[in-house]
Amino acid sequence: MASSASSTPAAVRFIGYLSTISGVIASFMILASVLITCQMIFIRAVLGQSTIWQTEAVIYLMIAATMIGLAYVQKLKGHVGVDLIPTMLGATGRRVMAMFTLTVTALMMILMLYYAYDMWHFAWKRGWKSETIWAVPLWIPYLALPLGFSLFLLQLAADLWMAIRGEDIGAPVAAEDRRH
Amino acid sequence: MDPLAVGGLVALCTVMVLFSGVSVATGLLIVATGFLFVFDGARSLVALPELLYGELNSFALLSIPMFIIMGAAISSTRAGPDLYEALERWLTKVPGGLVVSNLGACALFAAMSGSSPATCAAIGKMGIPEMRKRGYPDEVAAGSIAAGGTLGILIPPSVTMIVYGIATETSIGRLFLAGVIPGLLLVSLFIAWAIYDTWRRGAAGVALSGINYSWAQRLEVLPRVLPFIAIIVGVLYALYGGIATPSETAAVGAMLCIIVAMFIYRLYQPMALWAVLRDSTKESVMILFIIGAAGVFSFMLSSLFVTQSVAGWIADLDVNRWVLMGIINVFLLVAGFFLPPVAVILMSAPILLPIITTAGFDPIWFAVILTINMEIGLITPPVGLNLYVINGIAPDISLKKILVGSMPFVGCMVLAIIILCAFPGLATWLPDYLMGPAL
Repeated sequence: MASSASSTPAAVRFIGYLSTISGVIASFMILASVLITCQMIFIRAVLGQSTIWQTEAVIYLMIAATMIGLAYVQKLKGHVGVDLIPTMLGATGRRVMAMFTLTVTALMMILMLYYAYDMWHFAWKRGWKSETIWAVPLWIPYLALPLGFSLFLLQLAADLWMAIRGEDIGAPVAAEDRRH
Repeated sequence: MDPLAVGGLVALCTVMVLFSGVSVATGLLIVATGFLFVFDGARSLVALPELLYGELNSFALLSIPMFIIMGAAISSTRAGPDLYEALERWLTKVPGGLVVSNLGACALFAAMSGSSPATCAAIGKMGIPEMRKRGYPDEVAAGSIAAGGTLGILIPPSVTMIVYGIATETSIGRLFLAGVIPGLLLVSLFIAWAIYDTWRRGAAGVALSGINYSWAQRLEVLPRVLPFIAIIVGVLYALYGGIATPSETAAVGAMLCIIVAMFIYRLYQPMALWAVLRDSTKESVMILFIIGAAGVFSFMLSSLFVTQSVAGWIADLDVNRWVLMGIINVFLLVAGFFLPPVAVILMSAPILLPIITTAGFDPIWFAVILTINMEIGLITPPVGLNLYVINGIAPDISLKKILVGSMPFVGCMVLAIIILCAFPGLATWLPDYLMGPAL
């Protein structure tokens, strides 16, 4: 690990850190939603009061965790796909396949980023609010989309760069690391 | 262009895109975007992020990360081996006790973790070496755990069932209950085959004799397994008592599992806790992103009238409903060979559900049939995840032996599907009995 880390370009390493940080943030968002849901049940069932913001907050946290976690999951090679052809190929074939799929994925995410920015920008400019008592300005939950796609794109670019440099980026993931 | 032809083209493109190796979520987005662009024009793409966001904007979805945390917390502890040990000590007088306790431990662990590969790994790490040591043939040892692990997605709480419930808007509570009896049916079939196979391979004499344990030995393992079982029972009780929604129950379950893992299993090192959280996040993000992408995909299907016309076309064909069910099963089986269960469900549910209900099948019953098909995909090549998990645990058993050992269990699952087709009540009776008849 030490030798490969030293030959990794600084930019790729930096993006890797960025993805890890977003993964940590996403993880704590999920943990927060566990706690908030428990708190909500406590307030409703034990204290017998009604709850206002919890359900909505928890949904926003989950969406944000999903979007912001994309980059980290990419870094961990956690986005499942049909890896039948890559596993049948040798290292070179796998590298070419990885370059192809990374490029295609990146193009798709550029498109998503473009429209997601649009959506966020509209919500921001027009001051849209959620149609609940809490009335959250929608640009806040919407922000997760352009942000998540940007981080995802950076990690894809870093992976693509490593694939071009000759790393076996498409190597199969150990079965035990996959749960579904 | 005729919507049916569009549908065929979508199917073809999806297969091609997915086989190119892009992730399932990205593949679904690419196909959906491509078709929307070609048939509805560039303007329709403006809605892409809103569709993705809208699909994820649901409180019910929260049960997915919650149940995943529950399972990950349990899997990170010694609960699997403990459970296995407890059953082994208690079931020693039962003929074929070790196989029974292995498969029983798989079923129970499946109920706690909701994940098939995790079940395989948790029980297999202890169960496979033990079975081999006692003289069970390698094929039986590996095959029974590979098959037993697949129960993870059938026995509640199951992430796969939640995803089906969300994709088809059926009651998650009912789906969970529907999996119970078929799950037990599968366990019995597995046990029967494993004992028969051991006997057939001439290892019955050594393998099927039990070891005696004292009551002290039997009782000492209980405190380590009862808390988790209590949580599962509590979660299911809260769910069916109408006390809380699946998401709420799962959140409390997740919290309790983390607490039990910390205090009973002494899992309080920050790095160990972080590993639980990280694994759950990785898995949740992956599944939720597929769900979001599948939302865009099914929007494309219905906005190009593919869903409606495929369902109409099948209804017009007027084939025997069981022939139809047979074809659907073959389709699911083939899809399951290549794709993870969650992806198959999300992609096929919007198309299959109208067909199923038009043909007069019960969607709850169908969920069980679909899940068993997905279970088969987990122990068949080329991507049978459980086979590789077993291979990772017991590297000295060749993949071929694991495969040979697992194949008869595929037969058991096919048999279970046939039994369920003959007696649909096996799946629908329990939910109807406990929750009242479906509307």
